[in-house]
Amino acid sequence: MRTILFENIDEPGLNTLEVYERRGGYRALRKALSMSSDEVLSELMDSGLRGRGGAGFQMGRKVSFLPHGDMEKYLVCNADESEPGTFKDRELMQKSPHMLIEGIMIAAYAGEIGRAFIYIRGEYQLQADILEAAIAEAERAGYIGQDILGTGLNVPLVLHRGAGAYICGEETGLLDSLEGKRGNPRLKPPFPAIEGLYHGPTLINNVETLSTVPAIINMGAAEYAKIGTETSTGTKLVSISGDVKRPGNYEIELGIPSREIIYGLAGGPPSGREVKFWFPGGSSSPVLTRDDLDVPYDFDSLAKAGTMLGSGAIIVADESRRVLDTALKLAKFYAHESCGKCVPCREGTRWTHKMLERICTGEATPMDLDIMASVQEQIIGNCLCVLGDAMAMPIGSMVKKFRSELEADIEAARVRAEGAPAADVVALGVADEFAGPLPVH
Amino acid sequence: MTGGRDSVPRFEHGSRVPGWDEAVDLTKDPAVVPDPATTPVPAELRAEIEAAMAKYPDRRSAAIPALHAAQAVHGYCSPAAIDQVATVMRLTPAYLTSVATFYDMLETAPRPPHDDIFVCTNISCSLLGADELFDAMIRAAGTDETLHVRSFECLGACDIAPMASVNGEYIGPLEPADAERIVDDLRAGRPVLPEKQIRYRRSVDPGAGTSHAAGERATEFGVPAATPRADTAGLDPADAAADRPGPAAPLEYPAEENEDA
Amino acid sequence: MPRPAHKTIQLTIDGREVEAVEGAMLVDAAKQGDVEIPYFCYEPKLGSPVGACRMCLVEIEGIPKLQTSCSTPVKDGMIVHTQTERVRHAQNAVVEFLLINHPLDCPVCDKGGECPLQDISFGWGLGRSRMIEPKRHFEKPLALSPLVAIDRERCILCYRCVRFSQEIAEDYQLIFAERGSETYVATHDGHPYVAPFSGNIIELCPVGALTSQPYRFRARPWDIEGAGGVCTLCPAQCNVTFTVRDDRVMRVLARDNPGVDDGWLCDKGRFAYQAIHVDERITRPLVRDGGELREVSWERALATAAGLARHKGHTGALAGGQATNEEGFLLARLMREGLDSTDIDSRTGVGVGAATLRALSDPRLQASVPDLEFAHTVLLVGVEPLDDAPILDLRIRKGVRRNGVKLAIVSARPSALDPNAALRHRHAPGAEASVLTELAAALAGEDRPGRSEDTAALAGLLRDGGEDVVIVWSERIGAEAAAALARVASLLELDGRDGAGLLEVPCGANGRGLREAGVRPDAGPGLASLEGDAVGRDAPGIARAAADGELTALYLLQTDPVRDQPDRALWEKALHTATLVVAHASVLTEGLREHATVIFPAESHAEKEGTIVHPDGRLQRQRIAIARPDEVRPGWAVLAELASRTGVQTEARRSADVFAELAAAVPFYAGLTLEEIGGRGVRWPEREASLAAAAEASAAQASAAEAPDGRRLSPAEPLLPREGELRLGTFRPIWAAPECEISPALKFLIPEQQVELAPSDADWLGIAHGDEVTVAQNGTRIKARAFVRSTVPPGSAFLAAGLRGEQSANTLTEPLIEVRRA
Repeated sequence: MRTILFENIDEPGLNTLEVYERRGGYRALRKALSMSSDEVLSELMDSGLRGRGGAGFQMGRKVSFLPHGDMEKYLVCNADESEPGTFKDRELMQKSPHMLIEGIMIAAYAGEIGRAFIYIRGEYQLQADILEAAIAEAERAGYIGQDILGTGLNVPLVLHRGAGAYICGEETGLLDSLEGKRGNPRLKPPFPAIEGLYHGPTLINNVETLSTVPAIINMGAAEYAKIGTETSTGTKLVSISGDVKRPGNYEIELGIPSREIIYGLAGGPPSGREVKFWFPGGSSSPVLTRDDLDVPYDFDSLAKAGTMLGSGAIIVADESRRVLDTALKLAKFYAHESCGKCVPCREGTRWTHKMLERICTGEATPMDLDIMASVQEQIIGNCLCVLGDAMAMPIGSMVKKFRSELEADIEAARVRAEGAPAADVVALGVADEFAGPLPVH
Repeated sequence: MTGGRDSVPRFEHGSRVPGWDEAVDLTKDPAVVPDPATTPVPAELRAEIEAAMAKYPDRRSAAIPALHAAQAVHGYCSPAAIDQVATVMRLTPAYLTSVATFYDMLETAPRPPHDDIFVCTNISCSLLGADELFDAMIRAAGTDETLHVRSFECLGACDIAPMASVNGEYIGPLEPADAERIVDDLRAGRPVLPEKQIRYRRSVDPGAGTSHAAGERATEFGVPAATPRADTAGLDPADAAADRPGPAAPLEYPAEENEDA
Repeated sequence: MPRPAHKTIQLTIDGREVEAVEGAMLVDAAKQGDVEIPYFCYEPKLGSPVGACRMCLVEIEGIPKLQTSCSTPVKDGMIVHTQTERVRHAQNAVVEFLLINHPLDCPVCDKGGECPLQDISFGWGLGRSRMIEPKRHFEKPLALSPLVAIDRERCILCYRCVRFSQEIAEDYQLIFAERGSETYVATHDGHPYVAPFSGNIIELCPVGALTSQPYRFRARPWDIEGAGGVCTLCPAQCNVTFTVRDDRVMRVLARDNPGVDDGWLCDKGRFAYQAIHVDERITRPLVRDGGELREVSWERALATAAGLARHKGHTGALAGGQATNEEGFLLARLMREGLDSTDIDSRTGVGVGAATLRALSDPRLQASVPDLEFAHTVLLVGVEPLDDAPILDLRIRKGVRRNGVKLAIVSARPSALDPNAALRHRHAPGAEASVLTELAAALAGEDRPGRSEDTAALAGLLRDGGEDVVIVWSERIGAEAAAALARVASLLELDGRDGAGLLEVPCGANGRGLREAGVRPDAGPGLASLEGDAVGRDAPGIARAAADGELTALYLLQTDPVRDQPDRALWEKALHTATLVVAHASVLTEGLREHATVIFPAESHAEKEGTIVHPDGRLQRQRIAIARPDEVRPGWAVLAELASRTGVQTEARRSADVFAELAAAVPFYAGLTLEEIGGRGVRWPEREASLAAAAEASAAQASAAEAPDGRRLSPAEPLLPREGELRLGTFRPIWAAPECEISPALKFLIPEQQVELAPSDADWLGIAHGDEVTVAQNGTRIKARAFVRSTVPPGSAFLAAGLRGEQSANTLTEPLIEVRRA
């Protein structure tokens, strides 16, 4: 396995131009500028690099969607890393900001883009300060800004700090936020590649995706595509946290068994406990259990397993944990972060949170699990953006996979609250038909 | 805002949003774009906002930076602060209110200038004891108005879970016992828990995939105990408080740490 | 600017072949196939769709996910399903989600019975809720403004009201605050949402969250009827629907007419209906008896007014903007044929002469309201749309926002549209003529020393910004400026070009119609030129003649010159000196209260029958929505009666008869019938028959009319202020109207006099914002409050006209004022 992004990552001063250049920095930019922008674009296409932000869309194709011609086009680097469990971009920006800047410039060149922004979440103050200093350095050195490396190209790069809203990680919410509005997602189509920031064609990519670009140019697309699997090329940073011995970021080659990450790299749950469930791609991915540990860690295999690679953040919970507690945290989080624009997400996340609270206070019956599952189905696919689905999918998977445990929790909470065994469902005066899920397509 | 010691008041029917139950004050004039002739703005704040506006093709993009700047001056996005931003940005105050109330880091509840202590209570941190940490933090801060303890959604540092962000400085992994120390450090104007600041933390396994040997260094959870303090941000922990980033000038590792690395 | 072309395509919805315009949204196209797709947030008038409510999800073959039909443009061959299980599941889900926190207070909700949420829940919901958590309950209703109440429990956050405020009115006062399920509609820091168009949000709200304070609990949908009409409170003449219950107007709603109002109303038009049903309304004839106005019988009032016959040749007449064409036509006949008087006018102050006016109102030179939206450049000269014809303000904003229309503003006073303008040219009050003369010279390429850069830039914009230029102007700019404007129009070759031209905003609501009906001293019906003795005095001339005793009687048709005309003192004297003052009025304004001899109760705009003419030449019909209260009689009938008592031959038995007489007298109304005008009106400059008749008439008059010639004009430079003085500019605020003063709901908007000053002038005068000040000239002084605005050009100060009492700016007659702290 190879290290691309984390090569030299802990080298002191890698965040400065001097050290970065000493380690071969900005060679890729010079190389790219010596090629035509179409050549750079075909390198990106051929590399098979898929977006590392969550959706996994091919980066080169995204660039190729940008219209040609004389117009203001924008590149926005999505550094609003807010998906619970994800912290890889933080490490990249803090330790190797110039790699990101170089990647941004190459991508801008490939897409004939004249202005770039980095939207960084407001909480990342240290990383933003470091990036700002790196941008100033790169500008002084002629890598960004006016007349880049004497080529006459102008690409100003501005760092924009957010102010705390998960939804701004959604690309169109991010655009609204960058335009100085509330970070509400927009309707798609039009897709940002056609009409994005300030109504101009806009390329939006994640920090890790863009940071990978210099390596691709340096080693050549063909070489890069050899790493990983056929449809998931390259290396991927995996943030692993929760009940593991060594939480942190690991750079892996896509396609290795998940067990190797959780147990091999991160050391597995402490004190020899077993994995109970795990999120393979951030908190919005449907959970897997210990039975799924041998699923290869790549985009397609995880999709086949009914979940997703997402942002590449693994959260592990061991057998000492209750599913209910995590589900409650999750629902509370998404209800809090729902922007409120569309109905199913706004009302569905809140309702789900209230139902879970009711389970905890002993006011629920097993029937509520059916309603909860049905509510999740009512959210999925009906929302404006993916935030609603991001709650509904994991919650739905938890109810499905841990139903008996949740029923036991309901019963236990009722007993705790009432000091008596549960009343019959019918005794509550709720007819049976209310319990059934709504018809699904 | 996910609650906290002094989060917005809760209503008996379950909303915590004070505005819901409020009528407008009919004696006020409509809030149009304030006239610079009648709304004075501190010169420094004006300059900061104008500089932010100059960075974007559309001045409204500067709304968040401008509100941040005003919040730093006023302690929170008070109506007066918003009026001042609106004057410089030539927007209605309502536009800015709408933005300010959307984002967690922009405060609209009255508050004096304060230290921010965000305790992450999302999934990874709470698995490892964030809720107890948050309670301890609340207790440690007591009734001090200048310490603003909030439970926060995932701050993006699950590798040091459970963690907190103190005035933007990420520290972790924390134990409830660290709460007192955080408060003491803040009151004394010292860097907060420098040995737990993320800026000094190594990647857990830089050679992941090539060598699993790094795993040997791990303690039960969190940061490997043997990991040296690698100041990858380019700052020596000793003068971390002096000026935070300043990464333009690389600092050499102290000799003995270099060897270790 | 070319308007979008429409191509028709075919698609299949639920198995039906539907024809639709390419690019139309699916939800609209479905209506063509009689397929109803439910929605809440979609409203095309509000701009691009937001897709927030998720109610309109449909299945489109070839697209895996359900799509919002409000945001999906139709394509040829598209196959759409709106009735599948999957769609139904989504619709049921959205309805359930919407209702989980919506209160079940329909029985006491104003919206009940006309509520989209009710209808859609019934049609597309499952009729049950599985949520057993308590719903949110809050205080209700709360005031959002004195006019609008907000009930946040009921709000479904559909975005309509905030989009209206932010994207249509562009006042950006109404917002969403907070986030997620805690989002709510709010204003900044508890300020009320008070703005000229705020009432539209009530009509937009698809639930009972925003309700009209004056209408709350006044009626149920099954108690009321809608009656189409036209608002005549300003020249914009918006189309309205009066909500009528038991012969009382309970509210006013917009009646969408894209040629006129685009479906919006201003708050004056929406709420001043209250003036119809107040105690202040005059509903019986009044005659002054022993110095007091007393209610008398119609016969006595008519007999007294018929005393006009004793003032033959010595009667002056003024018609106000609310008079219909029929009333104006009859008034002109009464004056000219019955009373041998030529002194008749419908303008405010010194208007534009007939020759210039004929040139400027050439039908080939007339722009329509929709032209404002699609022009390359719109130039405003001496007109503030927000005050003079509010709904045009929204139309101009729409053009700038949606179609990139470039807006240029030539005005003395800062305009509400300034932020939208590509170019702003501020001049000294009263200097319109010199600006336009300079502009004409610049357009003609003449070299003139000392031309301002502004003028050069303006000329460049008009010349090079695209050929479709629409110039909106007001007759207040005066005769000289109008002549220069004619030259500007000819240099820009606006003549005969579709989508370009002039749009005059007259001072009176039906100013154009009255003028075309012959209510001018220098032109007969159809602007026919008059010569010699047939030419009478204009409004200021009438005032002077009456004050001097040359005119002994005055006829005031729905106008109070003390209030409406410049030079208050002169008019006071004129009314005082005249021995017989006959008036039609619905409210006792100050001039009438003091001086009228006879007052006939006038109809409101909901009671009138007749025709009026929109500034762009559109004839519109006013129809009777409610019965006339008490003893009110139709104005035309009173005039016809007086006319026949003074010997005028008229066969008019109905208002329609008068219209027929008018249509026969005005060449360019040739062949017009009330049926043709219909409910949406008809623009005569677009009618073939009218154009032919107008061309013929103008050929016949060519010799008589003196062509306006801007070149020979060299207008006087504006007066330079003397030491310690400021130039006075006046404007008539939207709310300065007697109807607002007596409408309980609008009273809070009545402006008090304030003097708008530049900060530098305020500094130099030692005046702070909000100070009490005295404005003085020639020994006249009025009290006002200082209003310091950084956009006011130094050296100028602005005061409001049209206000009640001595504080109104028409007390001042000279161009310079002194402002001092009181």
